[in-house]
Amino acid sequence: MIYLVIAYAFAIAVLGGFLIWSLRTLRGLERKP
Amino acid sequence: MNKYERAAVGAVALMLLAGGAIFFYAPTDYLQGVVQRIFYLHVSSAIAAYGCFAVVLVGGLVYLRKETPEADRVARAGAVVGVVFTTVTLVMGMLWAKPIWNTYWTWDARLTSTLVLWIIYAGYLLVRRMADPGRQAARLAAVVGIFGFIDVPIVHFSVTWWRTQHPGPIVVNDALPPEMLATFLFTLMCTLAFAAVLIGIRYRIETVLDARLHATEPAPIIPTAGEPEAVP
Repeated sequence: MIYLVIAYAFAIAVLGGFLIWSLRTLRGLERKP
Repeated sequence: MNKYERAAVGAVALMLLAGGAIFFYAPTDYLQGVVQRIFYLHVSSAIAAYGCFAVVLVGGLVYLRKETPEADRVARAGAVVGVVFTTVTLVMGMLWAKPIWNTYWTWDARLTSTLVLWIIYAGYLLVRRMADPGRQAARLAAVVGIFGFIDVPIVHFSVTWWRTQHPGPIVVNDALPPEMLATFLFTLMCTLAFAAVLIGIRYRIETVLDARLHATEPAPIIPTAGEPEAVP
């Protein structure tokens, strides 16, 4: 059970983190003149 | 909220639905127990990574033929998203292997070729980061991206070409019960949609970065009418 939880927690952290980081990068780039 | 953020919200909603199917709809495997549920996102991530690297391949081929900056940007976007999905595939696979094989890693053909795939495209990203942006770097990266794709069929067919500890193909061999197959296909569809949204966002980032780069470059010296051109 613990391996299942760690596996999905890792996937959520990596995929979700990458999505949020990309959106924040894009927002930052489009905001700057 | 711009269109990229709306697409991201839609992609996250699809992934949550896939999570619901994985944990509440799919039956528990009789032999492996709950840890078998890792399979759904592990395999979907691997296929999404293949798709991303196919994008790098097509982008690289188009760039070498036409030298359009759009093709180079698509390839860059595909490579970074592909590396992210390959990372998820590798780590989830290791976490499945520990309770099933009693080890996180073994140097069998599938695992090793997948690690090589990760190294190839991480190298591709490193080349892009270290080389001065321009035509030469883009052409070199396109060649790396095209030759790197040779590893994708090796990864895919490794379980049939060699005797491996990794399980063989079970989806194409019709070895999954209908509920598990439906859950897998739904998770695969959601993961591919998520990957497509990520590539779209990364493409937009690369477009803005390219525009910034060209804006800061010194303008080329063009001789005005009547002014004599410099003779070398």
